[in-house]
Amino acid sequence: MFGGTEYMEINMGPQHPSTHGVLRLKLKLDGETVISCEPVIGYLHRGVEKICENKTFFQGQIWTDRMDYCSAIGNNLGWAEAVEKALGVTVPRRAHYIRTLLAEFNRIASHLVWLGTHAMDIGALTVFLYTFREREEIMDLFEDFCGARLTTTAFRIGGLGQDLPAGFEKAARAFLARFPACIEEYETLLSENRIWKKRTIGVAKLNAEDAIALGVTGPMLRAAGVAYDIRKAFPYAAYAEMDFEIPTRTEADTYARYLVRMAELRQSCRIIAQCLDGLPEGPVMAKLPKSLKSEVVEIYHPTESPKGELGYYLVGEKGGTQPYRFHVRAPGFANLQSLAPMVEGGLVADVIAAVGTLDVVLGEIDR
Amino acid sequence: MSAPGFPEMTLTQTLLIAALQCIAVTAFVFVLVPLTTFAERKVLGYLQVRLGATRIASGLHGLTGGLNRGMWAMGKVPVLSFLRGLPFPIADVLKLFVKEDIVPDKADRLVFIIAPGLTMVASLAVFAVISFYPGVLFVFPHWVPILGGCPFAGTAADVNVGLLFVTSIASVGVYGIVLGGWASNSKFPLLGGLRSAAQIVSYEVPLTLSLLAPVVMAGSLNLRELARILAGLPLMDASGQLLTQIHPLQSIPLFIGFFIYLTCGFAETNRLPFDMPEAENELVAGFHTEYSAMRFAFFYLAEYTNMIVVSAMASTLFLGGHHLLPFGLQRVIPESWPILGTPNLLFFVGKIVFLLFVFIWVRGTLPRYRYDQIMAVAWKYLLPLSLVNLFLAALIRFAW
Repeated sequence: MFGGTEYMEINMGPQHPSTHGVLRLKLKLDGETVISCEPVIGYLHRGVEKICENKTFFQGQIWTDRMDYCSAIGNNLGWAEAVEKALGVTVPRRAHYIRTLLAEFNRIASHLVWLGTHAMDIGALTVFLYTFREREEIMDLFEDFCGARLTTTAFRIGGLGQDLPAGFEKAARAFLARFPACIEEYETLLSENRIWKKRTIGVAKLNAEDAIALGVTGPMLRAAGVAYDIRKAFPYAAYAEMDFEIPTRTEADTYARYLVRMAELRQSCRIIAQCLDGLPEGPVMAKLPKSLKSEVVEIYHPTESPKGELGYYLVGEKGGTQPYRFHVRAPGFANLQSLAPMVEGGLVADVIAAVGTLDVVLGEIDR
Repeated sequence: MSAPGFPEMTLTQTLLIAALQCIAVTAFVFVLVPLTTFAERKVLGYLQVRLGATRIASGLHGLTGGLNRGMWAMGKVPVLSFLRGLPFPIADVLKLFVKEDIVPDKADRLVFIIAPGLTMVASLAVFAVISFYPGVLFVFPHWVPILGGCPFAGTAADVNVGLLFVTSIASVGVYGIVLGGWASNSKFPLLGGLRSAAQIVSYEVPLTLSLLAPVVMAGSLNLRELARILAGLPLMDASGQLLTQIHPLQSIPLFIGFFIYLTCGFAETNRLPFDMPEAENELVAGFHTEYSAMRFAFFYLAEYTNMIVVSAMASTLFLGGHHLLPFGLQRVIPESWPILGTPNLLFFVGKIVFLLFVFIWVRGTLPRYRYDQIMAVAWKYLLPLSLVNLFLAALIRFAW
């Protein structure tokens, strides 16, 4: 024979059906086996952090919508709370509850997008349409609340711009009543499906040690057996008053992450039901001074986004109306670093499963 | 060659009849393929709680706008809105015809151009031997010039090695895929071509073995005879002497063989859950990534034609062919019964349509296997199973 081996280098993305936006993967292949994998990011970089440093505290929130566009309300919540911490504003209890409620709805919506696209990448086309049917209802709820569906800018600094609209609670309860059956419907298509299990069990493993070393958070970490959830570890909004569990698995593979996220859907339903039941009366907006001026502060405010730890780092200057320095600790960015160790040595098809299980949204990674 | 009971035909008549039969079979395929793509849109649509294609011929503008406006004006729902989406295949074909035909700069031009034709021709040629109806479908009335009184057989070429012809011609189709993937001189098509080479060659083995079981039972390779024997009916010669009839127990290997054959058929036609060569989420579009316009359409048509071939073969060999009941159970219905007891073109086509529905149904339900798992399924499960099935068929044949 000719001696020597040559590897095939292949660019998966940025234009590719299953890299979720504009992720580019430089793959080095030996036949079907992945020798090395290098994610190339930055195709969606807009400089959100720098822009926010030149916007007032009120205007900044609009830019957080456009980071992880699948969970805009979760981003809004983190921003609003970080700014409120910086300004020393106390938010009314009712506003906290409504924020929690909406953030959990958003978690469901985000997980539904993940489930649909992940299943579609592995070839189960129908799940995608089923999940988007339910997501549509959540989007309608958001539209009811704040007029926007995707880029919500749902909150105000100091509370909410408006109370829940009439009929919102009824629609939310109707959704909660229907949704568990929907989760079961997805699970009948996937959980015990032999092909689904073959494609996910043991695929893209990432044990707890590596996950922590790489800064991986969220369902990825919980599927490795680490029960770390910001909502419990550093409660914010109304989470301290909520009763819910942190689903964990120990297998640390794609199937375990699937199970964890499915369990989180159910936990989110629980939290929403508690918010609706225990919704306190009162105002939804704090009394604010005419002009918001910050002190000299340095704040790191972590929140649990559907993808993991979404942290807002904010430095304020004396009398400033804008952040002096703003940085986002995006969960997707840290999680993406685990892609290479997860897929190297695996097959090309596993790369697709791994990208799906990461739940990447490039808007948040590139910012 | 002339059907029994009919006068000898002249050369002109023979050639004309042959040409007409070719046209009839091709027309059948080219009508069924667009309808299948339409059905795929609609069936997948309803499986996925959406409507599928709706946006053609139901609007108030364009070619059919006048009709629709008129019917709305009369207070009626336009008749076309019930069929909306049906003209989609026509629109698709028109679009593919007028699109620019791109041959990549670095491609191997000759092979690149030949490959789609190879796949298409191979899948079409199979229909020559498929028996749509045993014997004569109809006789031309006497007022027809030249052909008056000539029989029109339900099989274009009633050859006695039909099954062999089908398996050998159908396996030529993979060359088109491999060559297309190679000639594109591009990375994703190359991966797709390699995958399909491995996959289709692997699945050919259990596929052929599963077809061998019926052959062992019936002792014939002629698809017309196979259909009758495997339906469970006795095959007589001209003098009424019983030639062969399968044992009732043969229903068991037929039943198992059907599922082996169908599974392999999914792999041979590159359909989910075995659509490795074109796995869109991994390889963009696999072997035909670089193809456009009619050359792409050829691959696309070939895939659907192959689905029809697999369905036709499964229905001939396992589902009773032109007879009503599958798996050799037709023996329970006396042949004297009208309609139910006699062979019928509609039974055959109906089974093809049902199997095409199964293809779409599975696509809407199952995820995709991984490349190495597909190989494992073929070599570890299907191959031993089809061997056991073949042994079972032989055992029943020679023990009883």
